[in-house]
Amino acid sequence: MITTYKGIPVLSKLMMMTLLLSATAHAQDSEKLQEEKELELVNFTHIKKVLQQDGLSQEAKQKVKQVKILKKEQKVMEGSRFFYPPESELWGFVSEYWLVKNAQILGWDFNKPDYGLETSFKSMMEKLGFYQKKFKILLLNTPTVVRTSLPGSDHEIILLLSVPFIRSLDLTKLEISLLLLEDFLRMEAGYFKKQVSTDKMKKLAGANFETTKIDPSMVQELLANYDKQVNITGYTFQQQFEITKKMDAFLKSSPELWNTYFKMLSKIDRFIKSNAQYKDYVKLYPSPEMQVKWLSPDEKVL
Amino acid sequence: MLWMMAFFSIFSVLAETTSTDEKIVGVFYMKPIFGHVHQSSVRTSASLTTIQCAHPVKVIETSKVQAGPEWAYVQVADYKGFVLKEYLSEKRPDCFQGQYPKFFDSLNLDLAELYYWGRLYDHYVQGDTRVK
Repeated sequence: MITTYKGIPVLSKLMMMTLLLSATAHAQDSEKLQEEKELELVNFTHIKKVLQQDGLSQEAKQKVKQVKILKKEQKVMEGSRFFYPPESELWGFVSEYWLVKNAQILGWDFNKPDYGLETSFKSMMEKLGFYQKKFKILLLNTPTVVRTSLPGSDHEIILLLSVPFIRSLDLTKLEISLLLLEDFLRMEAGYFKKQVSTDKMKKLAGANFETTKIDPSMVQELLANYDKQVNITGYTFQQQFEITKKMDAFLKSSPELWNTYFKMLSKIDRFIKSNAQYKDYVKLYPSPEMQVKWLSPDEKVL
Repeated sequence: MLWMMAFFSIFSVLAETTSTDEKIVGVFYMKPIFGHVHQSSVRTSASLTTIQCAHPVKVIETSKVQAGPEWAYVQVADYKGFVLKEYLSEKRPDCFQGQYPKFFDSLNLDLAELYYWGRLYDHYVQGDTRVK
């Protein structure tokens, strides 16, 4: 059945009205310039309200904000790649780099028996009340570098000791531990860092070099200073006196340890005087003979 | 013919055992700045490959290899060898070369230096004192 209104079918009437409206619109459209039509397409002002109601412009603003933040973070991240390590991390890194660079001279890459040094040194340190101390011991297969201590990362200390030296002297585990303790105290006293550090290092450590050029001479200078300190400079009489007195004070509470230390120094003194291979030892660690004197009780004049 | 069939059946059984016996325990990460995958569970044994800090390492368990209490039997790329357990971490560590990449790159370490740096950690006798 077809629905009618005033005798005309409703469907036909609707179609006629649509045609009439579209014709009117077309007539209005054709009156506009092509440029005007293009401008309407470009100019969004007439749809701005619709966009605002939809919250799209707000979202666009947020997106711009987010991009800004992300770009800023990206820049910060990129910039963080250009930092020199801070002093606390630089020392350990340079020490290991020096050990790597001098691997052949120091001869630490060799087969050796387990001397049980970790246990003996640790227990002696704990007996003397040195707690929360981290150490690394590296044994060397050379008589050239007898002993030294290097700064490690995160308050760690790297202790180097020559196996030919301890074998020639036939040192016991306890005696070796006492030698290591001396070097440990030297490092704690800060002599090494003071003598090796440079102004450049102090200036650059922890600094950013994103806008400047990296200065490779900082590490090279430090490595050269390590060489000098370990092989030529060593420690002064004053520094040796201070360390010997510290050892004296720490070991006094344990006569067994004190006696072993005293005898060991005498043993080293006799050995280096009779062995030309170790003639430089006295220049670097002056001197076992003096250390024995400093430790000996004062002679009373009657 | 029968002999050949017997041979192949034994071979296939062996192959199956090899493949099923190995179990991946987990993926761990190298802690030191450089380290080695060793041929045997001895600190001074030959190095199969050098890996750097934060390199992922598959730890394997198998009845065929006894690694010893200090060592982990691992797979890195095509190499299967041993790494000291104390140098493996469950979480990706903050490595020096990751924190200061431009500084680290500027050193231009050569292959010998990478090798020795890994070796260094094999030779360290490490310890720390504690309150009893």
